[in-house]
Amino acid sequence: MKKRIGCLIVVLLLTGILAACGSNSSNEAESSGDEVVIDFFHRWPNEPRKSFYDQKIKEFEEANPNVKINVDSVLNDSYKEKVRVLVSNDDLPDIFSSWSDTFAENLVSSGRIKPLTDLIESDSDWSGKIIESQYEGFTFDDTTYGIPFTIDGKAFFYNKEIFEEVGVDAPETYDEFIEVLDELQAAGYETPLVEGLTDAWAISHYMGTIFHRVVEPEILAQDYNPETAAFTDESYIKGLEIFQELTTYMGEVSTAIDHEAARNMFSAGEVPVLYMQFAEILMVEDAGDVDFGFFNFPEVTDGNGSADSLTGAPEGWMLSENAPKEAEEFLKFLTSEETAAEFTEVDGQLNAIEGGVTEENANPTSYEAYQIVLDSSETAPWFDNAVDITTADIFMRGGQDLAIGQTTPEQIIEEVQSQVAN
Amino acid sequence: MKKKFPLTPILFLLPSVFFLAVFIYIPLVQNFYNSFFDFNVFSNSKEFVGLAQIKKLFQDDIVMVSIMNNFKYAIISVIFQIFFALILASILEDKLFRKVAPTLRVIYFIPVMISISVIALLFSFIYNPQMGLLNSFLELVGLDTWARPWLGDSTSAIYSVIAMSQWQSIGLITMLFIVAIQKIPNELYEAADIDGAGRIRKFFSVTLPQVKETMFVNLLITVTGSILVFNEPFILTNGGPGNSSMTLAVHMYQTGFSRDNMGYASTIATLTFLLSAIFALIQIKVSKTGKED
Repeated sequence: MKKRIGCLIVVLLLTGILAACGSNSSNEAESSGDEVVIDFFHRWPNEPRKSFYDQKIKEFEEANPNVKINVDSVLNDSYKEKVRVLVSNDDLPDIFSSWSDTFAENLVSSGRIKPLTDLIESDSDWSGKIIESQYEGFTFDDTTYGIPFTIDGKAFFYNKEIFEEVGVDAPETYDEFIEVLDELQAAGYETPLVEGLTDAWAISHYMGTIFHRVVEPEILAQDYNPETAAFTDESYIKGLEIFQELTTYMGEVSTAIDHEAARNMFSAGEVPVLYMQFAEILMVEDAGDVDFGFFNFPEVTDGNGSADSLTGAPEGWMLSENAPKEAEEFLKFLTSEETAAEFTEVDGQLNAIEGGVTEENANPTSYEAYQIVLDSSETAPWFDNAVDITTADIFMRGGQDLAIGQTTPEQIIEEVQSQVAN
Repeated sequence: MKKKFPLTPILFLLPSVFFLAVFIYIPLVQNFYNSFFDFNVFSNSKEFVGLAQIKKLFQDDIVMVSIMNNFKYAIISVIFQIFFALILASILEDKLFRKVAPTLRVIYFIPVMISISVIALLFSFIYNPQMGLLNSFLELVGLDTWARPWLGDSTSAIYSVIAMSQWQSIGLITMLFIVAIQKIPNELYEAADIDGAGRIRKFFSVTLPQVKETMFVNLLITVTGSILVFNEPFILTNGGPGNSSMTLAVHMYQTGFSRDNMGYASTIATLTFLLSAIFALIQIKVSKTGKED
């Protein structure tokens, strides 16, 4: 008798386990009747964007009563990881946000991303409003896989009051920039330039821009392609030396803080110059009360690269291969002129939709930045998205080591060369 | 009469064996298998590369740095958490401290109960170069020359991380020693008293031999824990600056998830497993556990 009860318990336990393992397959037929469920995944669980997108979802659901939108969001780095996991199986959400260039290319290589070229051609009223040049980061082999939305650019933000007080102007060339930094230092600003070097991406933004200034465009294009990358050009060493020289102005503090801390120092008026994204304009304004302007990374006079390219790449939306028709409608809704205009007002980040950013709805500083983005002759992608991530990692960690004097530009390049040779 | 084979206990063990197999043994075997392939989470197929990744493991400077850091972690942890915690435990169990011991025990144990993420955030404030408590304190007592960006300096980063771990874990090990000391029969101490042994003599002749078994368990926890350590360096420094505070687990994580090289990450995981298994085996062999004499 006892034994039988024992057996029964064991059987019950085992069936429980096995049942739990197998219950995954039953939620396929979710969309009963006419209701369509769209899974929406974005990377802004923080305000103001979370509320903005919650509001947009509500509006879309009201306009389309048969559509239900499930939303999920996680922050930046976790988003990158989660999307990678989702794309490796069939759970990819119907519509989700993506960065451009390598990040997008990696997702596309999984074969689970919907090509959008037909959609773009079929509705030119909608797609014609999107600034043409911003498609580039989402287009691979002439097929476009993403719709760009937010746009960005990286520039040196400088504290106008301090510059006036010390008597310096925004520099035009790199040599002038060094002079300006020296003068600021002489005027008592011990660390005239600060960066949160614990954030690896902040280093990659510097390097991407510097390489664009000093390396010949053809060589750069060749090295940015993982198939042909060699990094044998001498100019890379020069580029790293420039970075190293700049870190000497950052002080010891920089290796121990993150970019946010650096931004707060700038907002508090402690630091005269900081390399920031236009997306951060509102944050600087919210955190403090400094009068600031910006200048692009100055021309390197003896550099072989482009003198005035602007670093910055768009972010946008992608659809999964099996996304329903309603998800396409939702995508158009998210990138419409009305949504974009409202977005500028609420969030402040610039976007790629014509009429989305106007003098009326953007604040003056953002509008000035918007003009810079539109006028820039050439844009450079974020370095960590432009090259193979392992290569980028060597540069980023090497950058940290350079700042603390643990390595030399030659050693970094050597390591990169042996990495790409493999 | 033939003895009946006892089926029931085996049946009762089945569920736990099943769980162990699904969540521990199968992943372990699969990880070993994966370390011979080159793949990332985006790829649809795995490419067999044989021993190439194991070769790479031996040429990888970061692996060497990580192993050194893990060893530093282990050595410092053993010194602090085994020796220090034992001394702390015997002091707390001393007659002199009877009244305050329960309060002190709680105070030492509180850090163990706080989430490691919270502690890491707390310590990043302490180590902050501009407004951190540590640098402010050094300035206050006139040791400004010692002040430095603790986590941003390649020589101090790993030690700063280790220091935080010691602060957090010493309470747990102390608690385990206290339990062991309380188990020691009082007669032994009485006999020692009669023989005229002082406090220190009693510690070495009675307490130490009696807690040998617990000491071994703690040693095992500390050393394997040091080889697997991930949270502390990941949250505080993410292995930086450069690779100066990298540990095997952080290196594995970054290789797999940031650098998209799952295959090589599996190889690093296998190495980590082997290292901790070897240490555990050596310790079991040396201390001959289970045979109390």
